[in-house]
Amino acid sequence: MNARSPQPPMQKRYELIAGVLRLNITTGKLPAGFVLVEGPIAELMQSSRAPVQAALRILEGENLIHRFAGRGFLVGPKGSGVPPIRQGIRDLDLQISVEIDEALQSRGTWELVYDRVEEQVASCLIFGEFRIVETELGDYLGVSRTVVRDVLSRLHERGLIRKNQSSHWIAGPLTAQMIREKLAVRAILEPAALRLAGAAINYTEVETLRVRLAAGEEIEGEILEAALMEHCIARTPNRELVGLIGNNQLLLTAANRALTGLGLPRDRVEHGEYRTLFDLLSRHLVDSAAEYLEGRLRILAEKSLARLKIVAIITQPADIAPFLTPK
Amino acid sequence: MVTAPAVVPRRTLRVLGTSITLLELIRRRAEADLGFAISFEVHNFVDCQRRAALEPAAYDIYDQCFHNMDIVWFWGSLQPVDTFRITDWDMLSGLTREGGINRYASRGHGDQPVRKLYVQPGEALGPAPSRYISMLPTVHNFDSFGYDPRVFGAVGPHRESWSWLLDPRARGRIAVVDEPGIGIFDVALAAEAAGEVKFADIGNMTVEEIDSLMRVLHQHRQQGYFRAIWRDGEEAASLVRNGQVAVQSMWSPVYGDLDETAQHFVEANPIEGWRAWHGGMSLARHLSGAALDMGYEYMNWWLSGWPGAVVARQGYYMSVLDRVREALSPAEWRYWYEGLPAEVDLPGPSGNIVVKAGARRTGGSYWDRASRIAVWNTAMDEHNYACRAWERFVRQVRGEGSS
Repeated sequence: MNARSPQPPMQKRYELIAGVLRLNITTGKLPAGFVLVEGPIAELMQSSRAPVQAALRILEGENLIHRFAGRGFLVGPKGSGVPPIRQGIRDLDLQISVEIDEALQSRGTWELVYDRVEEQVASCLIFGEFRIVETELGDYLGVSRTVVRDVLSRLHERGLIRKNQSSHWIAGPLTAQMIREKLAVRAILEPAALRLAGAAINYTEVETLRVRLAAGEEIEGEILEAALMEHCIARTPNRELVGLIGNNQLLLTAANRALTGLGLPRDRVEHGEYRTLFDLLSRHLVDSAAEYLEGRLRILAEKSLARLKIVAIITQPADIAPFLTPK
Repeated sequence: MVTAPAVVPRRTLRVLGTSITLLELIRRRAEADLGFAISFEVHNFVDCQRRAALEPAAYDIYDQCFHNMDIVWFWGSLQPVDTFRITDWDMLSGLTREGGINRYASRGHGDQPVRKLYVQPGEALGPAPSRYISMLPTVHNFDSFGYDPRVFGAVGPHRESWSWLLDPRARGRIAVVDEPGIGIFDVALAAEAAGEVKFADIGNMTVEEIDSLMRVLHQHRQQGYFRAIWRDGEEAASLVRNGQVAVQSMWSPVYGDLDETAQHFVEANPIEGWRAWHGGMSLARHLSGAALDMGYEYMNWWLSGWPGAVVARQGYYMSVLDRVREALSPAEWRYWYEGLPAEVDLPGPSGNIVVKAGARRTGGSYWDRASRIAVWNTAMDEHNYACRAWERFVRQVRGEGSS
């Protein structure tokens, strides 16, 4: 049993980071054209890169920042045409409220390393089965055995690793069967949650998204998926159901991120599918939207299997973390 | 004074593919017929599909097999082929267009080409006919294994079994082809025929079934069953010529390349049926304008008969049967397609005699063979898992061979 109580959910961290950046953009501390790059932000916030990436995507979705030809994002809405300002983010003396600062800093030791380990484990799953040796992970992170165990039990809790018969920690392999089953679970749970959410759906947000999509705005699939979750599906009054849905998505999201990281092309048709979905929701046709969502998730299963097959031609990359030993 | 006519050379068409179809005599004839330069880049299956997926700008035409459409198509490297621009589209055999040569022929497990042929709404591939296709079906065959009758005895037709690839009589003298979408099915058919494994659907194995199959392979490997895992026809031929194998996976052209050892190495017509494959040609996504026109000219040329006759002489079939019949001699047509005894000695693609008068093609006519497909070369749902397990097996066999 894990002696520590479960930690605050992951999404809190990227929300905190997004909050800090948002505040400083609206107050003008982060000027239009300022180049936001993951690494320095992560350093400033004492975080790994994954939550920073997520925070930047949220802000992009809110049209507070936008992509440009270079690396990172520019502060300001798309099409503002301001020249890039390249400067260290520490020099700006950003406004970080005490509560947020504490929330970001006061994490347990294991939390400081957890995100990095999760990212490394998640990205190896598609390449087969790996063993994690506690002492090796400890050496790699430079932390005690206790911390390592906390990290491992968190990974276990989130379904990213398991123990085999000889009590070794094992990550992967991610199989087609797992993807198929998890997507089948999605197709059962998510439309049901959407139906239950009914009147609790945040129709203001739905309308905003509908209008933006109808205007032809290119919004990333990941942002649309998160918005659908936050404003519609997760509005269901059944908290247990929301928890199940979130847990079931973890591995799929991790795998998807790893696949996209390999340079796999983005889905070219999902944009239109989200348009239909938000259109139906904005007209309060919840049953129709739920039915459409179910169909979309079934097709997504086929596409995800195809994406996984593609990985077969990629030999195991050299940058797999050293604490992961291939079978 | 006579001035030479102005010659403005057209650009070069770059074809990426395997040694199955990228023959030098075909390239030269295509250049002469089409009036533009053509370059061939030849790789083995695995390297070829990796290059096709990861470096889509490096080629114009991708000449490969349907079973890797799942990978290359979904990587977004190709563009749909418009059947309205394929002159002889209506002459193509029903094997690909409809899924079988007739309604009663066995479809075979796995990736039947028709299931990867038509572009569906949302850019998926499926069997519902549409104007656009992923790959123009061309060369294909029904493969089995070859064996030494001195080891297995001279048996009658339909007595040969895939189980021989794991047979104790050939222990230490067995080889299989190294391509996870191909070799794995040879050994899967063998393991199932030998009663060692049972698959619910051999064309789409589960993780547990793959694990069971690999266990059987590793047991045999530890007992020294496997001599080699080969990558191309050249390697396969030399294993036979050097007397290193008594049974192994085989490709048709290799039989014409065995010299005097040919008499002791015959093609099996397995009781379980054939392992089928179907090749074709796709257009790179970047092609447009004049380069795209050249792509269509080249693909249409492939259906014109002469190229199909060339590949027929190494044992491959072509999707436009009537055109090939026009281009072969009557004796050649009767031997290669109708399965009748050769009336005279018959030449291979380069002119040397590969079939002696009186010989008969194993398995009979095209229609006999196409009616008995056990499984197609396939990228299964668990392809990624299977490939990694297969690679471990191959590494171990090779490691033992070199020690």
